[in-house]
Amino acid sequence: MAAAASSPSPSQILSLARSFIRVSRQFPDYNIREYTKRRAIDAFRQNAKLSEPSSISEAFSFGKSQLDVAKRQAVVYSLYVPPLPSVMDLPNKPF
Amino acid sequence: MTSKLLTSILRNHLTKKPNLLRRQPFSTAAAEALSDPPQNHEETTSGITMKGVKIAGRPLYLDVQATSPVDPRVLDAMLPFYLSRYGNPHSRTHFYGWESDNAVEHARSQVASLINASPKEIVFTSGATESNNISIKGVMHFYKEKKKHVITLQTEHKCVLDSCRHLQQEGFDVTYLPVEKDGLVDLEKLKSAIRPDTGLVSIMAVNNEIGVVQPMEEIGKICKEFNVPFHTDAAQALGKIVIDVDKWNVSLMSLSGHKIYAPKGIGALYLRRRPRIRVEPQMNGGGQERGIRSGTLPTPLVVGMGAACEVAMKEMEYDEKRISALQQRLLNGIRSKLDGVEVNGSMESRYVGNLNLSFAYVEGESLLMGLKEVAVSSGSACTSASLEPSYVLRALGVEEDMAHTSIRFGIGRFTTEEEIDRAIHLTVHQVEKLREMSPLYEMVKEGINIKDIQWSQH
Repeated sequence: MAAAASSPSPSQILSLARSFIRVSRQFPDYNIREYTKRRAIDAFRQNAKLSEPSSISEAFSFGKSQLDVAKRQAVVYSLYVPPLPSVMDLPNKPF
Repeated sequence: MTSKLLTSILRNHLTKKPNLLRRQPFSTAAAEALSDPPQNHEETTSGITMKGVKIAGRPLYLDVQATSPVDPRVLDAMLPFYLSRYGNPHSRTHFYGWESDNAVEHARSQVASLINASPKEIVFTSGATESNNISIKGVMHFYKEKKKHVITLQTEHKCVLDSCRHLQQEGFDVTYLPVEKDGLVDLEKLKSAIRPDTGLVSIMAVNNEIGVVQPMEEIGKICKEFNVPFHTDAAQALGKIVIDVDKWNVSLMSLSGHKIYAPKGIGALYLRRRPRIRVEPQMNGGGQERGIRSGTLPTPLVVGMGAACEVAMKEMEYDEKRISALQQRLLNGIRSKLDGVEVNGSMESRYVGNLNLSFAYVEGESLLMGLKEVAVSSGSACTSASLEPSYVLRALGVEEDMAHTSIRFGIGRFTTEEEIDRAIHLTVHQVEKLREMSPLYEMVKEGINIKDIQWSQH
C-alpha cells in the first residue's frame, strides 16, 4: 500500500474505474451488477471535484479496497447462481 | 499474479451459462454432502411452477420493508468469521476468543456511531422482535411496584401489541392511542393520556406498512417533560433517516439487522445510561451482554450488522436522493395512467422508500396474484397470513374495500429505474384488466354513486 501514498495519475484513476465496470459484469445477480456499476460511476463523478492530493489519494486507496471486495464477491456470487435468472435479465416482450 | 490468473480461470469456468438442469461442479459436491430442500416445484427450461403459478424468472424485488438482500460488502465482512475466525467471543483464554471479541466490540461501535450513542449502550439481540419484548416487558416488570401504565399506538408492530396484550393479562393498563388519517399521532392526545403511573411510551419511528415518520423530537420532549421513558421501534428507520438518540430523547430503541442489508437473525437494543434505564432480562444464562441478554453472540451476524451500519452511514445521503427520485417516478407513472389511486399515510412526513397505494374498484388478492413478476406485499409480512385487511389501515380509517386492495411497494438501495418502469407497466396493466371485468367500475363510469345503492339480500 506504500505505492498508493503518492497521488495517483489520471490514467490510474481511469483504469480503476474501468476495472469496476469490468468486475460488475461478472455478477450473476441483476441488482448487484447494476448497483456496482452505478455506484462506482457516481462515486468517481463525485470525487472528480476533489482537488487536494491527500484526499485524492485517500479516495483512490478506498476505491482500490472496494474493488478487492467486489472481485471477491463476484467469485462468491458466481459459485451460487440460482437456477433461474431475474426477470429483468430475460429477453422480455417489448412494451 | 498466478492467483489472479487462477481466480479468473475459476470464474470463467464457473460462470459459463449453465444447462438449467446440470448442477455446477462445486455445488454438486455440496449436494452430495447435504440434501437439497424438497423442491415442490417443477423446473423446466422455460420457467418454474410453484404453488400453481408459472413464472419465467425470479420476480423483481419491491418488498424491502419485509426484508432486504445482504449487501456484498456486508457478506465480505462476515465470511472470514464462518471460515477461519470461528471463536466464541466470550472465550477469554485464547486467540480465537480474543479476535472474535475484538470484532464484536468493533461492530458495537459501528452500530453506536450510526445512532449517535456510546458503544456501552448497545446490546445485541436476535432481532427487533426480541428487543421490543425486552424493552416493553423488561421495563414494566422492573418498575412494576410504582408504574402500571403503558402508552402505545394502534399502528405499532405486532410484537409490540402482543407484548402489551401479555402485560394486560398480567394486570397492567395499556392505552392504545388512535392515529390521525395521515398516520401521525396527535400530540395533545398523547399528553392527555400520560398519567402519574405511566411507565413507558412506545411509538415506532417509521411504520413498516405505511412508511410514515412520527414526530420523534416532539414526542421526546413530551416524555422528558413528564419524565416517562420513551421506547421506539426503529427497525425500519435505522440507516434510512437520521437517528440521534439525544435529540429524540429515547431511552430504549430496537434495531433490526435484516432491514438494513445485514443478515437475518440479528438486532440490537439501545439502552440509555444517563439517566440509566433498567430492564429485567428475558433470557437468563451466563450474564453475557451485561446480564440483559445471555447467550453466545453470533459473531458473523454481529460483524455483519456492524458492517451494514457503517455502509449505511456512508451511503445514507446517496440512497435517500436516489430512492426519493424513484418513488416520485413510481407514483407519477402510476397516477398518470390510472385514476382512483390513493396513497395511504401522510405524503409529507414519510420515509421515501415506502409507498402504500390503494386502487379503487379492484380486489387486492386478485391484483397480487396477477402481479406474479413483481414481489410486493399487501399489508405487512406478519399479517398477510390472515385474510383480514391490515389493522394499520383500519386504524387510519381507510374504508374496508380500499383497505383490501392496498399494495405496499418497497424501494431500496438496489432497485433500478428499469425495475420501477416494469412494475408500473405491470401494475397498470393488471389494474386495468381487473377494472374492465368489474361491474362496480362500470356503474361508477356511468355516474352512479356506489354508496347510494341499496343492495338487496338474497
